[in-house]
Amino acid sequence: MIAAVREFANRILGRGDATITVPSFDGALKPNQLLERAETLLECEAPEALAVDGDSLLVSDGARLLRLAGSSATTVRTFERPISALAILPSGRVAVALGGTAVHVYDDIASKTPSSTFTGELHAVNALAAAPDGALIATDGSSQRGGADWARDLMELGETGRVFRLDPSTGTARQIAGGLNYAFGAAASGSDVIVSESWRHRLVSIAPDGTRKVLLGRLPVYPSRLSPARGGGFWLTAFTARTQLVEFVLREPAYRRRMIAEIDPDFWVVPRLSSGNSFKEPLQGAHIKTMGVMKPWAPPRSYGLVIRLGADGLPRYSLHSRADGVNHGIVAAVELGGDLVMIAKGPRRVLKLPLAVAGAEVRT
Amino acid sequence: MSDIVLSLSKATKLYGGVPAIDGVDFDLRRGEIHALVGENGAGKSTLTKVMAGVVTLTSGAMAVDGTAVSPKTPLESRNLGIAMVFQENSLVPTMTVAQNLFLGQEKFYNRLRGIYIAAQQFLQSLNFDVTPTATVGGLGAAKKQMVEIARAVLHKAKVIIFDEPTATLTPEEKKYFFDLVRDLKKRGVSIIFISHALEEALLLADRITVLRDGRHVVTDDASKFDRTRIIQAMVGRDLSNTLYGARKDKMRPAGRRVLTVQNLKMAPMVKNNSLSVFAGQITGVFGLVGAGRTETFKIVSGVLKRDFFHGGEILLNDRPVRYRVPAPAVKAGIAYVTEDRKVEGFFETASIARNIYLGLLAKFPAGRAWLSRRESNTAGKTWIERLKVRAIGDEVKVVELSGGNQQKVVIAKSLIQDPELIIFDEPTRGVDVGAIVEIHELINRLADEGKAVVVISSYLPEIMALSDRILVSRQGKVVEEFSAIEATEEKIMYAAIH
Repeated sequence: MIAAVREFANRILGRGDATITVPSFDGALKPNQLLERAETLLECEAPEALAVDGDSLLVSDGARLLRLAGSSATTVRTFERPISALAILPSGRVAVALGGTAVHVYDDIASKTPSSTFTGELHAVNALAAAPDGALIATDGSSQRGGADWARDLMELGETGRVFRLDPSTGTARQIAGGLNYAFGAAASGSDVIVSESWRHRLVSIAPDGTRKVLLGRLPVYPSRLSPARGGGFWLTAFTARTQLVEFVLREPAYRRRMIAEIDPDFWVVPRLSSGNSFKEPLQGAHIKTMGVMKPWAPPRSYGLVIRLGADGLPRYSLHSRADGVNHGIVAAVELGGDLVMIAKGPRRVLKLPLAVAGAEVRT
Repeated sequence: MSDIVLSLSKATKLYGGVPAIDGVDFDLRRGEIHALVGENGAGKSTLTKVMAGVVTLTSGAMAVDGTAVSPKTPLESRNLGIAMVFQENSLVPTMTVAQNLFLGQEKFYNRLRGIYIAAQQFLQSLNFDVTPTATVGGLGAAKKQMVEIARAVLHKAKVIIFDEPTATLTPEEKKYFFDLVRDLKKRGVSIIFISHALEEALLLADRITVLRDGRHVVTDDASKFDRTRIIQAMVGRDLSNTLYGARKDKMRPAGRRVLTVQNLKMAPMVKNNSLSVFAGQITGVFGLVGAGRTETFKIVSGVLKRDFFHGGEILLNDRPVRYRVPAPAVKAGIAYVTEDRKVEGFFETASIARNIYLGLLAKFPAGRAWLSRRESNTAGKTWIERLKVRAIGDEVKVVELSGGNQQKVVIAKSLIQDPELIIFDEPTRGVDVGAIVEIHELINRLADEGKAVVVISSYLPEIMALSDRILVSRQGKVVEEFSAIEATEEKIMYAAIH
């Protein structure tokens, strides 16, 4: 009863859960336009995941697995379903998630048949990472919605994300965490697993005994995949930024129900991987253009961001593509040599940015 | 008529046998601007208070237009044509601006509307944007200062003494003030100008007198001085590189986020303000008067309240907090070192030890049933030593200390609480050069120890010398952020005014 009264009062006063606020991009997250200066290595139909195989790069493009050398891509193989996640284990084995519902592990990239296959409970596997003991960590975004239907999961306040530990040597799968608000991306950190919980805008560290600790909370973005960074720490991608409009909609269940039922999903008030494709797209209440020029600081419907995290999990610096940019919807980033290679899912590009330039610029 | 309008010879003032000024010779020419500089405790305020009739000389002589005088009250000084604009506010807060301006000039029958019209015209003639019907208590520090200045000008004094007149003014307001001073000079008014901003003294003054430890050091034409010579005369050592000259060439890395302010609102001063403060860094906040800097951090520390409806969110260590009074903020580890130390910073008639001990008492969750004199004395002695407060003992009343030492007491009162987040609002306003260096060292040390430190300052060299990251506030919200390395005065000022 008291909780109901408090919730009612909060809605009237705009407090508690009804505080429609968004953290600012400041400190290490101070905006820049560095992602706009990244070189485009490849434009393809449906880039989704990246993995580094020695000196070369593997890119998933729909059902195709491509090897990228410089800016020339060759098809390594084509699977029967789209690749939703990709990882190369220290042993050289290749793990591929297909359609989000199955994970196949191949002894090498040329193997025709998988050495292990994991299916069963998997529903929307969106990231794979190698654990130190040779196992795989898989994040399953939602047990209700498919990977492509992530916006609906957000609008339904989905909290059915899970993390699995897949052991290729035994063929067993074990759920190590559940009830996550869209698990999207994981990385091993010692014996713990760091997981991106997108709808709660945070990174959670999960210990072997299942205890959770918030490593980095209240991000102004929706975090996604993680990959190890040279010199310790991680690269964290964020596929879009939070806005007050979406935060407001998330607190209005009746509005969301009607929107889902009546509006074309392309024009929902939700974050998107790209924007500016149609005049029917919802704006964010700000005047996006002034004198014909897009305002970079306008509340964006789509955004591009990669965050360099230190070994302690704290942001060190970040690379941005703001409202007036195009390299939005960054869903994967890996280090290759002295470069950072990324997938911008919005414009369907594979990007490359020299790390020395990026690091030096954002630190000054 | 002699060229000398005011002179003091062998002026000595003793407080409890200790000389505040000792055998000082001083003369003021007609229509000149005379800057009086020196560290806090150098005797500047005492010297000018003698002229203004606030205190009387123990020995020595004073003359106005060649006639020996000995004013015993401010009224007697005013009748001699000497007015003083005090560093501490001498306005009546419950009265309006116009009433304060004409205070002491009341007639048997006052027509209030007439007073307001006269005040409006007078303030406009000075180009001061102050509403004559506004209650003084509700004005900001800069506007109070304007009223003080206007009152001195209104009294048609032939000598006007300004004690730190520009400390609370924005750059635009300073320009108006300088124009006003030059205008007064043209009319033959002599100006004594006490300032810690040496650039201003060099820019404005015809002659400069330097005092040190209550003694006269040097008087010379301003053209014969530069910053280094003034500083060396003031303190006897070269501080120019450690004070404002040194720019940061590296910055501390950010630690965890200690404070998050999201869409904070407090009409009309704070408008949708968002910012973060990180551990182990000094976050400098720059802005002109009215930018909402002080108000934002006063809301954070529970001194002010945000809007009742949709007032935004404040998170301390990622937990939402809403302080209605400062006490829970202090207990949570937030210390706010006020910009207005004389009103909000200390109990002026209490001793140094008592004031510092009060800071400790504020930290206890449910107060204290008993007070320990021993604990109070220990706290006093410890912090006097740690912050190098210059006083003859810990039982000295704070009101008897110089500005820099008073500020150290205010800082000690906050640091004794062992806060996690320390907000310094104008930490060196009205503080002498030597104390500035010590306070800056202290602030740096706190950040090195991992504390989250916020420095709000209107003085760009101070912001640039101290901050690891600089937030620029304008019209109620943070509009720009610079790292210490990329920041320049031009960039910061551009963000602050555009």
